[in-house]
Amino acid sequence: MEEDKPLILIIDDEESMRDSCSLILAREKLATLTADNGALGIRTAQESKPDLCLIDLKIPGLSGFEVLDQIKAIDPHIICIVITGYATVESAVEAMRRGAYDFLPKPFTPEELRIIIRRGLERRRLFLEAESLRREKKLMEENFITLVSHQLRSPLVAIAQYFEVILGGIVKDENTKAEMLSKAKNRVEGLLDLINDWLDIARMNAGQIIDNLKPFSITSLLQQQMEFYTPSAEEKGIHLTLDPPEGSDRVRGDSESLEQVFSNLISNAIKYNVKGGSIRLHSRGEETWIAVTVSDTGMGIPEEHLPYLFDQFYRVKRSESEKQKGSGLGLSIALKIVEAHKGRIEVSSTPGKGSTFAVYLPKAVG
Amino acid sequence: MEKSKAKILVIDDDPDFIDAVSPILKSAMYDVVTAPNPEQGKKKVLEEKPDLILLDIMMDSLFDGFSLCHQIKTDKEFESVKDTPIVHISAVKEMTGSRFQFKGEDQGMCGPDDYIDKPVKAADLLSRIERLLKG
Repeated sequence: MEEDKPLILIIDDEESMRDSCSLILAREKLATLTADNGALGIRTAQESKPDLCLIDLKIPGLSGFEVLDQIKAIDPHIICIVITGYATVESAVEAMRRGAYDFLPKPFTPEELRIIIRRGLERRRLFLEAESLRREKKLMEENFITLVSHQLRSPLVAIAQYFEVILGGIVKDENTKAEMLSKAKNRVEGLLDLINDWLDIARMNAGQIIDNLKPFSITSLLQQQMEFYTPSAEEKGIHLTLDPPEGSDRVRGDSESLEQVFSNLISNAIKYNVKGGSIRLHSRGEETWIAVTVSDTGMGIPEEHLPYLFDQFYRVKRSESEKQKGSGLGLSIALKIVEAHKGRIEVSSTPGKGSTFAVYLPKAVG
Repeated sequence: MEKSKAKILVIDDDPDFIDAVSPILKSAMYDVVTAPNPEQGKKKVLEEKPDLILLDIMMDSLFDGFSLCHQIKTDKEFESVKDTPIVHISAVKEMTGSRFQFKGEDQGMCGPDDYIDKPVKAADLLSRIERLLKG
């Protein structure tokens, strides 16, 4: 099929029929080919791959049914419409049984022809669309597998490569060896993090979250997070504060998965912060939402990255010297969890100044 | 007899791989220059005019390595260096159905002169490089 014009093959031994059908269809901006006998019709179908075939059941030589069979054998998805002057129930049923899309009894009006052709082509269009979607999906799946494979393999090949040069005696200096082993160790840790995150995603079942929605105070969750992260924040000279709640702080949620969300946001805020910087946790009760914000005074995120931030594996590419820690999955997991709560996450950021992640969660009623 | 110092450019976004593979190349008396991404890679190719390029396939996006290889071999911009042998290195193996070499060639893209899988065995890498440098 040409990109824009569907192609219709008319197989009929009557010249007047071929001509008039071609004319009617040409007016509909459809491309047509004709054949005056079954064998030619089949050859033409083979060569030109039409979208739709009009087949006269009573053509000399091969029977119309045989032509139908053969064309279906060439491509089962060509739409076949049989034209019959013997508008008996049996021939119609037989035609459909053999895979015809529909049948058109002679004599028929131009309008009747147009209507049946249109329906047939619509069916064809839907089929082709589904096919291309299927192909796209397969491509994406293959790429996804490739992506995952790469993410899992990269740390292992780096580690193996270090072993190769150390065990192979290519590197002899003890300091260099120690450095390499230490870098290999970092990659091991990174890989374990990645696998844990992958398992989280795999295990995370939106249904489980929805089943576990309960009212609780988000302040108590944030307090626990504060206690957990204060030591590592202080190590980097970062000041972590939790504001008293503004208005109601009772959310309707699954505390276990929400812990993961805020844990991810806070650890990012620490990771990307500057020495002596600060992180502020704040919650604000609105009419139907509780808005929880995590603000940092870190390096910020350039605007062009914001739309992709929550994509799986997306990492903002910074200087080469920065060690790539983390799996790149944290935010996409966080987004999934928040969406399972029917909430949303928003991010705003000023490069050089800091970022604010706002999580909107449903307010508990009663 | 001292081996004349050939220069090898390694383009790879994994700094650990670069750190691990450089000693192998240096042990064979090659000069090593590196680039961590395609953009810098392009600059270095033109600046340093290496005798051979080791190019990682899976850089930022899935096809970065291939597009870069194709560019170097066909673009006017790289006319002066288009005959530099290029070896693709990758952690992604055929098993996953993603040896992009095939898809790349399907799309009419210029492929590399050789492929090697990560992790590389020192002897294997060095013999392939030697073969390509001999011409």
